[in-house]
Amino acid sequence: MKSSGFIEESDLHALVDGELDPERRRKVEDHLLQHPEHAALVEGWRRQNAALRAAFEPVAHETPPLSLKDAASRAPASTQGPIETGAIHWGRPGASRPAQRLDDLRAQRRRQAMLSTLLTLLTGAAVAGLAALVFVGRHETPRPPVAASFTQSYAGRAGLTYATYASDARPVEIDISRRGELAAWLQERVGFSSTPDLADLGLRLIGGRVAPGVAAPAGLLIYERADGARVGLYFERAEAANAPQAPRAGQGVSAVEWRAAGFAFVLVGPLSSEEMQAAGERAARAVSAAPDAP
Amino acid sequence: MSRKAGILEGLGGVVPALRRYARALCAGAGQALSDELVQSALQSVGARIRARELRPADLDEARVEAYAALTAMATKRLAAAPRTAPRQPPIVQGLAELSLDDRAALLLVALEGFGYDAAARIVGAPRETLLARLTRARAALAADGLRPPSVDTGARRAAAHLRVVK
Repeated sequence: MKSSGFIEESDLHALVDGELDPERRRKVEDHLLQHPEHAALVEGWRRQNAALRAAFEPVAHETPPLSLKDAASRAPASTQGPIETGAIHWGRPGASRPAQRLDDLRAQRRRQAMLSTLLTLLTGAAVAGLAALVFVGRHETPRPPVAASFTQSYAGRAGLTYATYASDARPVEIDISRRGELAAWLQERVGFSSTPDLADLGLRLIGGRVAPGVAAPAGLLIYERADGARVGLYFERAEAANAPQAPRAGQGVSAVEWRAAGFAFVLVGPLSSEEMQAAGERAARAVSAAPDAP
Repeated sequence: MSRKAGILEGLGGVVPALRRYARALCAGAGQALSDELVQSALQSVGARIRARELRPADLDEARVEAYAALTAMATKRLAAAPRTAPRQPPIVQGLAELSLDDRAALLLVALEGFGYDAAARIVGAPRETLLARLTRARAALAADGLRPPSVDTGARRAAAHLRVVK
């Protein structure tokens, strides 16, 4: 507190209440020796304390009533439910209690239900987030936002795959300089090997790789624009038919999805939606025109 | 999990002190009322701990929460409580004359032995506020005849003066 020699009234209280460190305490006690009027104040407060304890200490030695036994660990619901809801207390001093308790109880149940719902949601989100984290890995460069729930869809997996590889120092496994090898490999693993040419949209194919799909491995072709922006064309064998047949831009994420030749195609990238749509249409035309499409 | 159960069980051991505090806080307004306050406070704190709204690190923290719940409930309930019964000991009479805030501050520190910081947490006010209430309560009780007769009013004036000069 203070290092000066002045003693405040608060110091006298602190002395009575044991709130002083030994050094300060010694100072205050020295002060009291020289100021009997302050010493008398302190003495008076100590007497007050003693009087308070004398008046109420016996309460602490009584045997507490049964109603207080385990009050903290008892669920109010189980012990007081039926009795408190009835009119048994009618006319007694605590007659207003039951309704109040019932309200408390209801509020508490609502809180508990809300809490458990929240907990379930949070747990789900945490698990999904963890999965996304594991898939996406650690990246320094910014990547398009990928909601974990999107892993359920082709676009979601395309987004994840794109996020994983597009910003990698080695984004493709087989460079386009070995086009024949790349096509053969994709044909073997994914079952589809067309490599749409988007050069007139400013997108140069730099190569491709195999990526995890759900039923079978998926393919990812990566295109690069002169400014370094990369667009991925993801394709995966499609299982159901309830998906867009023509290119359609995804919401929120820069992804264009369509179906052709038994595959789901997703074009992902940071370009504007018009550019993505154009690139998607071009790629879709190229894919369906490709002679080696099955 | 077991820590929570341990704390809930440990709160049972706080009951005697809580009753003492509640009885003093009610200052003669009735034993039934004070015991009801204790029960409500314990149940509310217990429920909040079970619902994980409250996560006390140890029994001491849970104890502070129980006192805080009781103090808050007393603030609501005592407004409508009957006045103190006549023929109480002077100290109880004096307590009853205090405002509830001042009374709580004094009782937490002087009767229950809480440090200033814990007491401030219990009443939900800054430490300075708690100290002001404590000072006020002690001065008021002293004026009610619990002050030793040898001290005149000049002593308090001197103390107050010292504080200003600092």
